[in-house]
Amino acid sequence: MQKVIETLLIGLSTGSIYALMSLALVLVWRSTRVVNFAQAGQAMLSTYIGFEIASRSEIFWLGLVFAIAAGALVGAGVDYFFMRVLFKHATSGPAAVVAPVIATLGLLGLIRSIVGLTWGGEFKSIEAPASTDGFSVGDGTIPFSDLDVLIIATVSIILITVAYIFQRTNLGLALRASAYAPEIAQLAGIRTARTRTIGWSIAGAVGGVAGMLVTSNNFLSPYSLDLLLVFGFIAAVIGGLESMVGSVIGALVLGIGLTFILNYVGTSLVFIGGFSVLILVLLIKPDGIMAKGKARRA
Amino acid sequence: MIRKTRIKRTWLAAAVIASGSLLATALPANAETGVSAREIKLGITLPLTGAASPGYSKIGNAMDAYFKYVNDNGGVYGRKVTLIQKNDEYSPQLSIAKTNELILRDKVFALVGPLGTANFTAVHKSVGLAKRRVPSLFLNTGFSGFSKKKSYPTSFMVLPSYAMEAKIIAQFLKENHAGKKLGIVYQNDEFGIDGMGAFKAAGTKFDVTIPYTSGSQSSATAQTWVSQLAAGGAEVVVMFGVTSATGALLGVSAAARYAPQWILGSVGSDPVTLRAIGVPVAVLNGAQTPAGNPSPNDTSDEYVKQFQEINTKYNTGVAFDDYVLQGMNIGLLTVQALRAAGKNLTRRGLVRAMETKGSKFASVAYSPLGFSRTSNVGHTGYYMAVMDATGDRKPFGGKVTLYTTDSGSGPVVVSTFKRPAMPAKGLPSNS
Amino acid sequence: MESWPKARPAVRKKIAIFILIGWALLIIGDRVDELRVYQGAQVAMYTIALASIVLLTGYSGQVSLGNGAMMAVGGYGAALTLNNLGTPIWFAFLMAIVTASLFGALLGAAAARVSGPYLAGTTLALAVGLPAIANQFAFLGGEPGLFFDVGFPPERFGDEFTQYKWFFWIACFIALIALFITSNILSSRFGRTWKAIRGNSLAAELCGVHSSRMKVLAFTVSSGLAGLAGAVLAMTISLVAPGAYGLALSFALVTGAVLAGISSLPGVVLGALILVFIPEISVALADRLGDADKLNNYLPGLIVSVLLILSVIFTPNGPGENLRKHLHKKPAH
Repeated sequence: MQKVIETLLIGLSTGSIYALMSLALVLVWRSTRVVNFAQAGQAMLSTYIGFEIASRSEIFWLGLVFAIAAGALVGAGVDYFFMRVLFKHATSGPAAVVAPVIATLGLLGLIRSIVGLTWGGEFKSIEAPASTDGFSVGDGTIPFSDLDVLIIATVSIILITVAYIFQRTNLGLALRASAYAPEIAQLAGIRTARTRTIGWSIAGAVGGVAGMLVTSNNFLSPYSLDLLLVFGFIAAVIGGLESMVGSVIGALVLGIGLTFILNYVGTSLVFIGGFSVLILVLLIKPDGIMAKGKARRA
Repeated sequence: MIRKTRIKRTWLAAAVIASGSLLATALPANAETGVSAREIKLGITLPLTGAASPGYSKIGNAMDAYFKYVNDNGGVYGRKVTLIQKNDEYSPQLSIAKTNELILRDKVFALVGPLGTANFTAVHKSVGLAKRRVPSLFLNTGFSGFSKKKSYPTSFMVLPSYAMEAKIIAQFLKENHAGKKLGIVYQNDEFGIDGMGAFKAAGTKFDVTIPYTSGSQSSATAQTWVSQLAAGGAEVVVMFGVTSATGALLGVSAAARYAPQWILGSVGSDPVTLRAIGVPVAVLNGAQTPAGNPSPNDTSDEYVKQFQEINTKYNTGVAFDDYVLQGMNIGLLTVQALRAAGKNLTRRGLVRAMETKGSKFASVAYSPLGFSRTSNVGHTGYYMAVMDATGDRKPFGGKVTLYTTDSGSGPVVVSTFKRPAMPAKGLPSNS
Repeated sequence: MESWPKARPAVRKKIAIFILIGWALLIIGDRVDELRVYQGAQVAMYTIALASIVLLTGYSGQVSLGNGAMMAVGGYGAALTLNNLGTPIWFAFLMAIVTASLFGALLGAAAARVSGPYLAGTTLALAVGLPAIANQFAFLGGEPGLFFDVGFPPERFGDEFTQYKWFFWIACFIALIALFITSNILSSRFGRTWKAIRGNSLAAELCGVHSSRMKVLAFTVSSGLAGLAGAVLAMTISLVAPGAYGLALSFALVTGAVLAGISSLPGVVLGALILVFIPEISVALADRLGDADKLNNYLPGLIVSVLLILSVIFTPNGPGENLRKHLHKKPAH
């Protein structure tokens, strides 16, 4: 029984980080209709910047703030300098379908190379902001630590903030309108291009937090966020790329599920498990668990 | 019709471009084998980045620092020694690609210190080192298979084999931890299996056995190891894995407050690197480990002292630890080998020099070298050491008790071997 | 069928061209040194792999990052056949095609209902996860992998005929045959149907095309090609290990295909040359700039990514297409 609770709690902590990544992916999708594979690269860059600050000042939170700022800047920059140029040029031919996908992948590789050239590929680690010791319960220890509690708390705050922005503010309304019906939004006086950039900026900031949280318990390297991207994507698919709430739920479910596999079956099946879930969802309910039956074509 | 002609033309154009570029960049046939009047080119493949790189990445620069020191003092019979390092990220297929580069493009004279069991096995076979007669000296791996002269005619080890290490640990367990519940975590490839085989032959019974796949080590997977070890009640745990895996295991155990008696295999036990990757020094206190060399902090040892001086001058900014020590030692051995091969330096001559004179070379390790016409074996023994509260290594029992053995069924014996003195100023003058 | 009589002389001309190319390669193989011969084998391997992308993405419009994984399937298939059944080499290569095609059909069936970024993301997951999957099963050899030994060149070629030259011969031979067959497939009604689906799948369906079946077929053939390339890769390094078929490979394939013109089969030669020689160029650059090793790790990736981005933005259909547009530019709209 204790093992079940352990697994549940750790799964919750892991899943909440996936939730951030999948939220970022959904944000960009809803505002630009592009799945931004470079999200992992943006998050990585933001995390490295956060790492620099955190290791110099020895304050994790300062590093986190800088990571958020960097993420926002990089996100906006990517949209402004990259995506706009892309959409202007690649609009016809067989490659139009393919171009945005490949472009974001290329961007991921580019950011990774720049990070590697600047910081090198050696593993780096950040001092965790909270103890990683497990809680003692009776004789044994649950491997659920203060850090995990902190992660869940941080993610919850971010999710609530983003939800508030989207549902309760004018900015949020503009964001949703620009994504759903850009021409109508423009007619209504919303500057869609700028709004979209803001959307990317928020997504980038969220990604930066995800990167910092993952790294607080793991090593940082130019490849360390790849898995986060994949699982974030799977979570977004499970929940439905259209639904932010769905992607969060999908991420939590995925996190808990994968942790159960890890603890009860073995490490090597974790990836197969995740991949099978992805295929299953795509086969059975391609629009995602939360979707309301809209056709899923690119 | 027009389109078909265009496609055909494109094919022709493609063919012309392909042939043109291959021809244009063709190098003239060359008899050079990495030795010129002024230079000897050597090559090494090792993990400079990636999951297995912590610690090991320092070995190359340490070797290079030593070579620079020797070059500044006349080189090897007037020739400068140049080391070309290639990063293989501990991945066998990258090792193959990089070794191809070293041999075909950089045209090195020999390989020194290539790192990794699976890596060298793959390289030796795929690149055909034996057929090409490329010497590979002082392999940074202890897989006992490499000691077989018939399969590896031009390769020479330096580390004691994993089988030797396991036998010595098994003896130590019998003498000092009899009756306790034993656990082991090992890397599930030839490196770890080499050790496991020897444990089995020595009759060591483990109550908890945990293989891990190379590359899968992380704090998440280490959690599962710790759960199993704790559940199995293991009081003494042997860790036969790379440094990053050892670090993960120790770190997670500290967090879970699981504190058995640790016995860390020599491959992953450098305290400086472990602390750099986040293992609290309190966890290391009391951990036991087989060691072949004196502690890198022991400045009363003439080898360590000299190497530290060279490190300060030629490898600035790098903390002097086990890996730096090992790298410099390989450098020292390499220069002795190059000298022993004579002024007329050939690959065959180098191999012969290793076979006939290699066993007398000066080395920081305490055990004798086993090179001969019939054996590739390098060092042949370990002493047991304990880490203290500062993470430094002290001999178990207060003084160094050297055990030597072989990779087969020979006994583990206490040895009274005295190693050769360090050449003056660390500059070999042998021939 | 009514186009057959017209096709025959054209096909014969194609055969002649391919034989010519083969003969030229033979001569070159004798003139250059071992490093170039080895790289030549790699170029041949990449042409096959890139052809698989041209077919799948350029012709049928499905963006997949999983071709690296399919190469792995082929490589493992060939190695397992060779090591466990002791069959002749050509049979091992055949099995590479068969196993990869099977997996490709499965993947295609699962992927037929999704497109665009979903497909890309799913295949990305496959590419990232392949090493983990390969590590799970002991008979696949784990991280160190399996040996794949095609044997030494025949005695009668003499002592000077090196192992790598033998690889070059085999690789070029296989590449020529594979490209010839692929070229025929692409110019047949299959190729035309795929293009139709890519352009507008709804319209194609209205014309009686069973689009999901054709998509699966595209995946199957493409994966078969990729599997063959994977076996050739395994031959050149005498090893099948998960590290050789990772995400970086899938990336490189997409890049090479885009650079060469994603729907241009002859362009794969150019793409393959670029892929093999970028590391060369970056090594030369790195040597000049100093701090060689750090640069060496990331400079090739940088160059590849920049090239990819530039080409995707400015010449998404390949340099050939853009050139054509410029040459046939209409006066003011």
